[in-house]
Amino acid sequence: MNPRAGRLRRMLVLGTAAAGLGLAVVPAVPSASSAPAGGDAAVVSVAAPEGYARTRTITREILDTSGQTDANLSTSYDVTVKANRTTNLRGRERVEISWSGARPSGGRAPNPYGEKGLQQEYPVVVLQCRGTDDADLPAADQVRPESCWTSSWSQRSFIDERYGAWTQDRYAPAADRAPVTGLDPYPAACPTPEPALGSTHITEFVRKDGHVDNACSSTQMPPEAGVDAASPPAEVAAFTESDGKGSVQFEVRSNVENESLGCSDKVACSIVVIPIVGISCDKPVGATLTRIERECRKSGVFAPGSSNALGTADQAVSPALWWSESNWRNRFTVPITFGLPAGVCDVLDPRPPTKFFGSELMAQVALQWAPAYCLSKKRFNFALSQMPDAAGWENMESGAGPAAFVSSEQARLGPDPVGYGPTAVTGFGIAYTIDRPGNGGSYGDLRLNPRLIAKLLTQSYTGSSLGRDHPGMTGNPVAIMTDPEFIDLNPGLSQNAQEAGATLLSLSVSADLMHQLTSYLLTDKDATDFISGKPDQWGMKVNPSYEGMDLPVAEWPLLDTYIPAAEGECLKQNPSVYFTQLAAPVSTLRTIAELLIDGQPNVQTRCEYDPATASYKLGRIERQSFGARFMIGLVSLGDADRFGLRTAALKTSNGRYVEPTESSLSAAVSLMRQGARYEPFAVSQEKLVAAKDAYPGTMVVYTAARLANLEKAQADKVASFIEIATTEGQVRGRGNGELPTGYLPIRRTGATAALWRAAQETATAIRAQEPPAGVTSPQPGSGPGVAPAVPPAEIPGAEVPKGDKGGATVTDGTVPTAATVATESAAGGILLPGLMLIGGLAVASSIVSRVLSARGGRP
Amino acid sequence: MTAVLDAPEAPAQGPARAKRPARSKRRAGTPRRARPAPQGPAALISSISTMVALLCVWTVLHLLVFADVSHAAQDLLFREFRVQLAAATAPVDGTAAPGAPVAIISIPRVGLEEVVVEGTAPGDLFAGPGHKRNTVLPGQVGTSSVYGRAATYGAPFADLSTLVTGDLIDVVTGQGEITFTVLGIRRAGDPLPQPRAASAARLTLLTAEGAGRFAGLRPGKTLYVDAEAAKGFPSPGGYSPAVPESEEAMARGIESLPLVCLCLALLTALALGVIAARLRWSVGLIWVVAAPVTFALAWASTDAAMRLFPNLI
Repeated sequence: MNPRAGRLRRMLVLGTAAAGLGLAVVPAVPSASSAPAGGDAAVVSVAAPEGYARTRTITREILDTSGQTDANLSTSYDVTVKANRTTNLRGRERVEISWSGARPSGGRAPNPYGEKGLQQEYPVVVLQCRGTDDADLPAADQVRPESCWTSSWSQRSFIDERYGAWTQDRYAPAADRAPVTGLDPYPAACPTPEPALGSTHITEFVRKDGHVDNACSSTQMPPEAGVDAASPPAEVAAFTESDGKGSVQFEVRSNVENESLGCSDKVACSIVVIPIVGISCDKPVGATLTRIERECRKSGVFAPGSSNALGTADQAVSPALWWSESNWRNRFTVPITFGLPAGVCDVLDPRPPTKFFGSELMAQVALQWAPAYCLSKKRFNFALSQMPDAAGWENMESGAGPAAFVSSEQARLGPDPVGYGPTAVTGFGIAYTIDRPGNGGSYGDLRLNPRLIAKLLTQSYTGSSLGRDHPGMTGNPVAIMTDPEFIDLNPGLSQNAQEAGATLLSLSVSADLMHQLTSYLLTDKDATDFISGKPDQWGMKVNPSYEGMDLPVAEWPLLDTYIPAAEGECLKQNPSVYFTQLAAPVSTLRTIAELLIDGQPNVQTRCEYDPATASYKLGRIERQSFGARFMIGLVSLGDADRFGLRTAALKTSNGRYVEPTESSLSAAVSLMRQGARYEPFAVSQEKLVAAKDAYPGTMVVYTAARLANLEKAQADKVASFIEIATTEGQVRGRGNGELPTGYLPIRRTGATAALWRAAQETATAIRAQEPPAGVTSPQPGSGPGVAPAVPPAEIPGAEVPKGDKGGATVTDGTVPTAATVATESAAGGILLPGLMLIGGLAVASSIVSRVLSARGGRP
Repeated sequence: MTAVLDAPEAPAQGPARAKRPARSKRRAGTPRRARPAPQGPAALISSISTMVALLCVWTVLHLLVFADVSHAAQDLLFREFRVQLAAATAPVDGTAAPGAPVAIISIPRVGLEEVVVEGTAPGDLFAGPGHKRNTVLPGQVGTSSVYGRAATYGAPFADLSTLVTGDLIDVVTGQGEITFTVLGIRRAGDPLPQPRAASAARLTLLTAEGAGRFAGLRPGKTLYVDAEAAKGFPSPGGYSPAVPESEEAMARGIESLPLVCLCLALLTALALGVIAARLRWSVGLIWVVAAPVTFALAWASTDAAMRLFPNLI
């Protein structure tokens, strides 16, 4: 994938979208209807090769006094660098950069990110830079050290460095070897350099808008580089193992996260990978080496694989000089492109959005699908409005939106039948960010069983000394890392308890996903026994607040009310439920995923003192330090894949642990059966677990829409959406309209064939808006339900349909509607006349009888 | 129906009987000769028809004339609602109690301006038009139903049938002012209006109308007026999913039957009391004491009885 191919692809994408064509129509999956016409669709149908791989030789060539290459000091490596994804990246997406053949690193820092990774030897520096490596481009569009992002000035500039090895760089032009180099003229805002003390070099940062940051102190950096900025440093000086291999999940930032860097769908950027092999030093001046010449020739003080807690690395082989010509010329430039931003349809499409309400499981795929709809004049402005499945369902039933995304059967509240069109196969995952002890990198084989998940969800770990005195939980482990059951399953992890290890970061709102997770807990006897109050074999008991809890639930309740006895002033001022602060659920899965990337637990137990008000307040605890991170959270598989999060293998049966993979999702889908036409597919968790290889977190997301009384235009939109989503929308890819990883493609053949057929059937029925007689109406009560937002009685006079009244008159362009039902009341019609008539008669009768009797009584 | 009509007869008899001797007694002092009390079947017929006449005339008077006083509660409702609007406490969701004001509706063309109360039970509609509780409030996205009486209790919706397509209906609620345009009038058998647009607010006014001669006095069939505003206010929800049978159009309930019985029992007790008092007190005193009580009880029993009749008439 080179930059030219990237441009070609972007042009094609835009051209195709403007022509109203689908992005990718793969011959194997022809569109069921509305097949795009036009020639160039076939061109784009071939997905561009994803990723990057390149091998080149990188060298350190040190000259001896005679001007020849010193064979003893010079080194050369054939390094291969790979990146797993390079196109249509989104902000905060993580790209796996891996390499082989590099020089093993020494003096590993506990945290290799940002300035904390500077004191290392022979690392591989990975940076995000604006521009690409193309000599044909104007200088401003080329990648250069000044357009590379670092989150601190000390990663790019040196002021009065005593022995600046870069001044000996044989590849640097003579002008760059002077005592004061870099930004010219030397900015007045920077400390005045003293050439007598040492060398000064400034690698300024040029923002997207052309503004130049002097980068000579923390105040001379772009705003995104502030101390403790919202996003932690992404640039990394990563380790190479002793076999020459290494890898890192590199987080890219779009102009939303980093405006100064400014990468977007319109601004080309690159990931620059620089395996550090050291400065190539020039010929010494005299016969004996000066101090600075010796410094330049140094080859490190740390053994390969060793750790560096406090020591100072040799500057010549450290990542601090990544910008020097010797290192910069060894770079691998991975060109990356960014996808359209999330709000592109709001900006580019003047039509009002057609909102589909519901499941957040659709978030990542909707991000890619939406532009394929809104940029086409023939389609509509599709938008996903995330909300709990049940709420989305109610909106759909009440007519607030044409369709809902749900992932289980919902209780029908309205009068109209509803069809479920399978749209995406994905699921939930238990993601984690766990570091191996002793600087051993991150852990990637987490296994969990239902009982461990139940222990986390029921808040049965004490968290810290504050929870230790919780009644009924004495003797329980402090956190999952000290639970013998967890240690058995996941040996070799640190057993230093952290509060974040006592909780599974989860959702505060209702979701079908939580319903499925809690159903999974029910499949395991150990887990149900534990919840019902039976201690596990190590004596751990369930938190009494959750004992005997009814499962499954769509919304996990926070039931504990234990307020620990206050010791410190802070807790006395802020008495609060400790276990609720530990759990601190959030409202979206995306938040959980981002917190996991950052290693930022949501535990709200940090005491802060505010001198202004002389009071304490509770807040979120610090980001976990790199190397000692331990966080577990509930995520969607789409997010997990987008952000490069690892997900745990879940226990099924026969001692197996299944990870979410394409095959384990397929295995689960193949067990699902449809109840009746237009109804969702269902499979019990018991069957999934019994199947051994099926992933228990597999979920099908349906587009649910009414089969009757849906406005024609809306019905057409929903039907075409399902058809497009299940054909071209199921083609794997990173482009607009394609299916991201984390979702299993629904295909016409294979395990998903039944889903595909059901989707087409439902789409046809939604378009027709005439439910066949065979449709059964599911009884309410199976799913989570709330009071309807808008009452069902839509049109007065139609509440009680009776067929015997006159037919509707249909005029052109209108929808035939039923006849108004007669609502009559005989009593209403005759009350007043009747009263008057009887009254009149009675008056007459009274008068007549009186007159008669008076006459009769007279003699 | 007959049972209901007959029921008030018994108590009405009491005061009437008490009155008649009183009058003859008073005039005994005059030169005119005392008239002998009627005897035989003629007397029976005379008494019964007098009672029936009194009952019918009273009821008709009540429905068409006196009940305007119930409708005069509009002034109080208007004041209450005005305060709520100013304080921004006017209800915007389904939380209003039945009988509380929720909107002001005005139709300039027929000179209608009414405070809409919550609820469509027959009793709620005494005070004015009522908002059906399982529909959104007028002006909100969705279809709102407002019921109003056509002939009795001030007959707020008497002139709805004269509306034509394009007439404007102004509604003021806690969310603001909104103007609806009449889409048309519907009667039984007419096609329902086109489905509304997603963001539109629809308002359907329901009342009753009669046919043929004395149509205004024979409101037996439901009349629908559909109106629509292109952009409605958002609906916060919270409406009850269904309403009791007695709140549907032209429906009646028997919920007030105990109240009717209680009122009639009180009237009977009053009659007995008057008879007993006649033995001790002067006629004037009895008139002063019994007449207001009788009037109030008769009023209450008629109102209670009217709850047994269709709500739209």
